Amino acid sequence: MDTNVNYKAEYAGYWKVLVALLIFTAITFIQPGMFLTDYTFVTQIAIGAIKAWIILMYYMHLKGEKLIIAFIYFSLFLVTFFFIVVGIDVANFQYQDVSHITSQVK
Amino acid sequence: MSHEYVPEVSTDREGKEHVVQGWQDDREGGKMGFWLFMLTEVMMFGAMFLVLTYYFSLHQQDFINASASLNRLLGGINTVVLLFSALTMGLGLLKMRSGDVKGAQLMIWATIVLATAFLVIKGFEWTAEYNHGVFLGLDALQSGNEHSKPFGEILFFGMYFTMTGLHGFHIIIGIGIMLWLLKRIKAGKVTPGHNILHFNIALYWDLVHLIWVFVFPYFYMIGAGDIGGVIHGH
Repeated sequence: MDTNVNYKAEYAGYWKVLVALLIFTAITFIQPGMFLTDYTFVTQIAIGAIKAWIILMYYMHLKGEKLIIAFIYFSLFLVTFFFIVVGIDVANFQYQDVSHITSQVK
Repeated sequence: MSHEYVPEVSTDREGKEHVVQGWQDDREGGKMGFWLFMLTEVMMFGAMFLVLTYYFSLHQQDFINASASLNRLLGGINTVVLLFSALTMGLGLLKMRSGDVKGAQLMIWATIVLATAFLVIKGFEWTAEYNHGVFLGLDALQSGNEHSKPFGEILFFGMYFTMTGLHGFHIIIGIGIMLWLLKRIKAGKVTPGHNILHFNIALYWDLVHLIWVFVFPYFYMIGAGDIGGVIHGH
């Protein structure tokens, strides 16, 4: 048996996290009709990021894990790096006329 | 002659020697290895989100129109189903760690039931889309015919079926490894004191949930602004 278990506290913790995630899910649903309606996409991804952070820290037990958090930052850095590089490329895209993904091929 | 057993000896920080009984109980190593695997998943889905974002930047209006046509109710129910399945999986691990093996098995079964419910709901959704003529390979998603959807919508639905399909595949794998976990628990290989397999499978399930946390708003919610006056569809 794992001797480090504080069953009552951890049990309550799981339910608290569930409630928090349900509240954010509800916000996801009402947001497009209620607030920041001109920025639905960005707001939705931001809410998703908050939910993801809660899941990582509490359900995936990352609180207090230094090395694994460093791994995650590194992988997020790589993903972000690719997003930025592709973003720069897209901003300077010069092949609209011949591209197969910018418009329907006639 | 079979292999003769040669005991391995390792030395601790004080210089004392110990005979190694086996490396299987290396909990930290097991956890670390599994996180590395999960980061490769982040890279894979990250690349897909990158493609999706690129297409979205090129065809914003088409994406919003296509997103508005998805069934938000079923997608939302699935979001809540996954949320509760993450809870049951976590509680199962907690029960296992605290010595309640029966309770842990029950919670894993509950997770399997919720995961199956997710797939069934997804199945209904895809069937309805197929019946509306929107599915990979059907005319609406091929260019150059009278039923063709606008080009951006074709890209949207291509990504939608690919990414929710890949996510659904992860759910199926999840159900498979949970059944395997139940078998290992029954065989006494996973116990309250030796639960790294249970721990890692719970991590996997959280990752599957985590991916959905982004898949859901990306596909279902970006076109949900009809009431609030985001960019309107036709």
